[in-house]
Amino acid sequence: MKRVICRMDRCLGCRACELACAVEHSESRTLVTAVREAVKPRARIRVEAVDGGLHRTLALQCRQCEEPVCAQACISGGIRRDERTGDVLMDPGRCVACWSCIMVCPFGAIMRHEGLHRAVKCDHCPGRDIPACVEACPTGALVFVEFTAVTPHGLTEQRPHSQAERSDRIV
Amino acid sequence: MKILIIGASAAGTAAIESIRRYDQESSIVQLSDERHQLYSRCLLSYYLSDSIPREGLQYRDPGFHSQMRVELHEGTRAVHLDTDRQCVTCDDGSVHEFDKLLIATGSLAKFPAYIPQGMEGVNVLRTLDDVEMIRTNVRRARRAVVLGGGLIGMKAAVALNECGLVTSVVVRSSRVLSQMIDQEASHFVTERLGASSIEVFFKTDITEVESRGNTLEAVRTDSGQRIPCELLVVAKGVQPNTDLIADTDIRKRWGIETNAHMQTSRENIYAAGDVAETFDITTGRHAVSALWTCAVQQGHLAGLNMIGRGKAYDGAVLMNSLSIGGIPLISYGVTNPPEGEGYQVITREQGRAGVYKKIVLKEHRIRGIILLGRIDNAGVLLSLIQRREDVSSFEDRLVSDQFGYGTLVGSVGAPDLARYHNP
Ligand SMILES: Cc1cc2nc3c(=O)[nH]c(=O)nc-3n(C[C@H](O)[C@H](O)[C@H](O)COP(=O)(O)OP(=O)(O)OC[C@H]3O[C@@H](n4cnc5c(N)ncnc54)[C@H](O)[C@@H]3O)c2cc1C
Repeated sequence: MKRVICRMDRCLGCRACELACAVEHSESRTLVTAVREAVKPRARIRVEAVDGGLHRTLALQCRQCEEPVCAQACISGGIRRDERTGDVLMDPGRCVACWSCIMVCPFGAIMRHEGLHRAVKCDHCPGRDIPACVEACPTGALVFVEFTAVTPHGLTEQRPHSQAERSDRIV
Repeated sequence: MKILIIGASAAGTAAIESIRRYDQESSIVQLSDERHQLYSRCLLSYYLSDSIPREGLQYRDPGFHSQMRVELHEGTRAVHLDTDRQCVTCDDGSVHEFDKLLIATGSLAKFPAYIPQGMEGVNVLRTLDDVEMIRTNVRRARRAVVLGGGLIGMKAAVALNECGLVTSVVVRSSRVLSQMIDQEASHFVTERLGASSIEVFFKTDITEVESRGNTLEAVRTDSGQRIPCELLVVAKGVQPNTDLIADTDIRKRWGIETNAHMQTSRENIYAAGDVAETFDITTGRHAVSALWTCAVQQGHLAGLNMIGRGKAYDGAVLMNSLSIGGIPLISYGVTNPPEGEGYQVITREQGRAGVYKKIVLKEHRIRGIILLGRIDNAGVLLSLIQRREDVSSFEDRLVSDQFGYGTLVGSVGAPDLARYHNP
C-alpha cells in the first residue's frame, strides 16, 4: 500500500503540488486551458503553515486511513476503502454535499468543491504511476512510498539533525 | 455465538460491519419493523425534493445482508424482551434466542398532543413511508408549514421550498437550530432562508389546526395569525424508542443507559444509536445524541464489544453539518455556553463574506464550535475536542482560515494518527 509522504525539512511551501493537483483533476489536464475552464479546478492537496508564518510548511492530502472516519460519517455510503490498494475512495455520484466528511476528517484533507458542488479529496491520481503532486515537487519533499508502519507518536517521524537525511515525515 | 440485532439502520448496520470484519462464525439475526431495508434516514429530505432518486437512499449494496450473512427479518417487530431467558418475541409470534443482543431501535418523532393525528396533510418526517406520504401531499399542496426549527425542521423546510411550495416555519424559540447554533448564526441562517422566501415565525407556536372534513386547511398560531396550508410537517424533535425495555429491569433515563462498551445494565445486552444514552465529551454528562455519525460510531463499537474485541467509547460529541442556501454550516458541542460557568468565547465575524466562526472554551479546552461559511479543517478542530487538548498556545489562531493540521504539527505535535490507522 503506497502513501504520499511529506518530508517537512524539504518542503519550501512553493505550492507546486497544489497547482499540479488542480491541473491533474481538471477537465483538460493542461495548465493553460485548465485555468480557463468553466468549473474552476481545485487541488486536493494543501500547503499548510506549521509555525504560523511560512518558514516551516508541509503539504497534506488524504491519509487514506485504515479506519476512515469520513466513511463512517458519510450519510450516503459514498466513501469506502478499497481493501486491495488501501485507498479511500469517494463515489462522486453519491455525494449530496452535506459536508459530514469534512466535519470529521482529523486532517482537514477533504475539500468542498464549490464548482462541482461536492466533496473532493486525494485519489492518488488513478491512471498514473506517480501522483501528480509528487512528480511536481521540485525539492523531493513529496515522495510516494510503500507504507510500512505508524510510529507510536503518530505519523510524524523525526530523525536527529546529524543524520545525513534528516526528515520530519508526515505519513 | 448467537447475535441478535433489533433495528436495521445506522447503528445496526455499523455493528454488522464491524462484527463481520473479525467474526465469520457467529450467526447474526436482525429484526426490522420497516420494509425498506438499508436506506439512509438523513437523505430523506433530499428524496423529498427529488434531489436524489429513490434508489439514491440506499447507502449499501442491495446484497449487503447476504454478503454479511445476516438473516434479516423485515416487517417484523420485536414486542417482548425476556432478559433472563435471553430471547425476544416478535409480533408474528416468532421467538429469537440470543447470546448477545443489540438494541438499535432508534427514535420516534414526537407528536404534540394538540395536533390531531391522522388528519390528511399532517405528517412527521422520520421514515421512508412518511416521505412517500408527504410526497403525495405535496402534489396537491401550494403552501406548507413546518412546526419546529431543529435540524429536521430546517431540512424539511428547505426541501418543501425546493418542491415549489410557499413554506413557513413556526419556531417556539427565538432562533432556528437552537440546539446547534447561537443567535448570530441563526440570524445568518434566517436571512438565507428569507432569500429563498422561507418565512420563519419566531417565538410562535401552533394553537389550532383547521380542516375541512379530514383535510388540513390552515393553522392558527398563538400570535393570532392564520396561515393557510395544505401540508403541515411536525418536526418537534425525537424521543428514544425504548418500548422494548419497558417491562425489563434494564436501566434508562431519557435513553437506555450504556457504559463505555455500549453495554446496558444487563451484561449481554447492548444499545447503540438514537436509543442509547452515552457519555458526552463536551458537557461531561450522559445524553442521547440522536445523530447519524454518533449512531454509526456507537454501533461500530457495540459490534466490536459484542464479539469481545473490547474497545472503549471516548464519548460522543454532538455535531451537525448542513447547507442552507448554499452556505455550509457545521457545529459541535456547547455553542451557547451558560453564563458564569467559566466558559470563554472567541468569535470572528465577516458579515459581508458570510463568515462566522465561534469557539467555546473551558479550562483551555474546546467545548463547542460554530463554523459558518468557511468549514475547511473543521475536523481538525473536532480532533482537539476529542483529544481534550490544551489549546492555549494557539488559541488566537483557532478562528483563522489558516488554522489546520499544520498548526498542530507546529504546536502540540501531530495527533495520534495511529488511531485512524490501527483498527
Ligand atoms: C429527515 C432526517 C434527517 C436527518 N438528518 C441528519 C443529519 O443530517 N445528520 C445527522 O447526524 N443525523 C440526521 N438525522 C438523524 C439520524 O437519521 C439518526 O440519528 C439515525 O438514523 C439513528 O440511527 P439508529 O440506527 O440509532 O436508529 P434509526 O435510524 O431510528 O433506526 C431504528 C430502526 O429500528 C426499527 N425498530 C424500532 N423498534 C423496533 C422493534 N421493536 N422491532 C423491530 N424494529 C424496530 C425502526 O423502525 C428503525 O428502522 C436525520 C433524521 C431524519 C429523520
